Amino acid sequence: MSVLDGWWDDYFWGSVVVLQVFLVALVMMVLLGLIGSAAKLSNNRVAQKIANAYTIIFRGTPEILVLLLFYFGSGITLTYFVKLFDPTVKFVDIPPFWAGSIAIALIVGSYATETFRGAFLGVDPAQIEAARALGISNFKTFIYVRIPEMWRLALPPFGNHMLSLIKDTAIISIIGLNETVYVAEQATGTTAEPFIMFMVVGCIYLAFSSVITLTVMVLEKYANRHLRSA
Amino acid sequence: MTDDTQQPIIQLEAVNKFFGDFQALCNINLKVNKGEKIVVCGPSGSGKSTMIRCINRLEEHDSGKIIVSGRELTGDEKDIDAVRSEVGMVFQSFALFPHMTVIKNLMLAQRQVRKTKKAEAHAIAMQYLKRVKIPEQADKYPIQLSGGQQQRVAIARALCMSPEIMLFDEPTSALDPEMINEVLEVMTDLANEGMTMICVTHEMGFARSVADSVVFMDCGEIVETAKPEDFFENPKSERTKLFLSQIL
Amino acid sequence: MSFDFMLIFNSIPRILTGIGTTFQLLFLSAFCALILAVILLLMRISGKWYLVIPNMIYVYVFRGTPILVQIFIIYHGFPQFEFIRNSIFWPIFREPFGCAVVALALNDSAYVSEILRGGVLGVSKELHEAGAALGMKAHQRFIHITAPIGIRLVIPAYSNDFISMCKATALASTITLLDMMGVARTIVAETFAPYEIFISVAIIYLILTWVYQKCFGLLEKRMSRHVKQ
Repeated sequence: MSVLDGWWDDYFWGSVVVLQVFLVALVMMVLLGLIGSAAKLSNNRVAQKIANAYTIIFRGTPEILVLLLFYFGSGITLTYFVKLFDPTVKFVDIPPFWAGSIAIALIVGSYATETFRGAFLGVDPAQIEAARALGISNFKTFIYVRIPEMWRLALPPFGNHMLSLIKDTAIISIIGLNETVYVAEQATGTTAEPFIMFMVVGCIYLAFSSVITLTVMVLEKYANRHLRSA
Repeated sequence: MTDDTQQPIIQLEAVNKFFGDFQALCNINLKVNKGEKIVVCGPSGSGKSTMIRCINRLEEHDSGKIIVSGRELTGDEKDIDAVRSEVGMVFQSFALFPHMTVIKNLMLAQRQVRKTKKAEAHAIAMQYLKRVKIPEQADKYPIQLSGGQQQRVAIARALCMSPEIMLFDEPTSALDPEMINEVLEVMTDLANEGMTMICVTHEMGFARSVADSVVFMDCGEIVETAKPEDFFENPKSERTKLFLSQIL
Repeated sequence: MSFDFMLIFNSIPRILTGIGTTFQLLFLSAFCALILAVILLLMRISGKWYLVIPNMIYVYVFRGTPILVQIFIIYHGFPQFEFIRNSIFWPIFREPFGCAVVALALNDSAYVSEILRGGVLGVSKELHEAGAALGMKAHQRFIHITAPIGIRLVIPAYSNDFISMCKATALASTITLLDMMGVARTIVAETFAPYEIFISVAIIYLILTWVYQKCFGLLEKRMSRHVKQ
């Protein structure tokens, strides 16, 4: 275990990076899911087609592929555009942090789109009708009736999406993001103890996923509090 | 009607059953002789289903004794298996195996439990299918049959195991009214052939014509036991009178 | 920046040389995972604490850690140990293919065992009781009642999991395996044309995914022909 001395703080900062990527991607994932499900549920044929294409493409393509495509591709595209303005620039790329966050948000967002769509459809239309009949405005009905019910239905699969998201951050190490897997690779190079180094990474991720699972359990209990029978 | 020297085929003595804090059965005492037909009735939640489910150990009683065909029901697997081979059960929801044809439904237990050969099991199955009057449905799947037909298949399935006792747990409650009679007919025929039957049901016409004795349960207790004519004309307990006024 | 459409088409044959490895990885891992998952399932539904608890720990660990980390632990980490190098399993762990199959199978089995458990739970209690009332023992009920009905119930969830597996095989390219992804990355390194090459690979994966979904859909239709819709 002493082989880990000196690496603890690297792992710590790597974990911080994981957390940062997770939180950033989470926000993007939720937005993408909401927009995507709204598009699918809307009457706009174009929006529906785009959203369908989005879910089909990103649910059927490997995460690593999306990541590499996005990272390398965006580098080339950005460089091209920047060169138009300033020909002396050699190469511009998106930092791995952003390339990674956006890539995994896109992927899990496609699953979230389906989850939110299902949750919206699962809301009892009778409840909506009752609210409108009482004179509550469209907007207020959406906020006070639709969203809480939809949230309750979406919560279990959403918890799984969050778990997928945090585990996908490990893949971003491939494009050089200095999160925990990357740290382990460095450490292996120096100490020649790959097993321990990667086991630590496993434990870190296990800790993260445990926290997420517990949080979701608590949230589920809270969201279902009105349904618990006496 | 009953021989005093003959042991009852089913005996419940001081049986209690709890679901958590809720007492489903309170000090149940019941004796059933061979060939007797008992109808058990009472409001929902009175413990009727729980009681008969304890008889074939689908539920475990917490205290008291249950003796079926001379064997006491304890945790002993051998006794439980032996009792289940003597006792057939018909469920409210039919519980036919949806992924098997009717004939296979009837053959499954024979082949798995009795190790009967395929041809013999098939012959026995067809015999009982004829008895419940739907031999032509043998190769259909349960979903293709009406509720009444499915329940008759369920009765045949239980009969294929040659039980000495048949338990019926609200066999007609899930049926559309026009199909109730076809099932009651089969049950009446069975009764007339001498089968020992315990039947939880709301069908009071059946109770009047077939039962040797009617047992009324409420809140987990047996409130009153009487011959059908006495039960319906002269109920003794207030609770029985209340129940009868609500359903008749 | 030029977008070379021809490159997309021209590179497909070369990418397809990796498809053999991809398929071998996928079907071998999925098969092993299924067998493991059934064992895990039986452990979980046995009710015996010394089987249930190891099952729960296994599922917790393998679902709670990234599959890439699991691959790295096996590929980079296992050869570190003498007892593994000397064991009969060494030929498996020596090769990246073996490591990938083991990692994918272990990981997937955790998910599939839970999917199967969902199927078992979905078989209505009354069918079990009818079987018990007829005198059938627990293992007989499992084989003749629970399994046939449960399998049909789990096909949608299993097909999703199978497609996840299909995507996970691409991670094997990180341990030098030349599956489709590995070949693609090699070509990109040569041609510096990430868009075209990666889009080609993506198209192939999408077609494969579509085929798998159709197959599972047909399977489900066929198994549901005698069931209420």
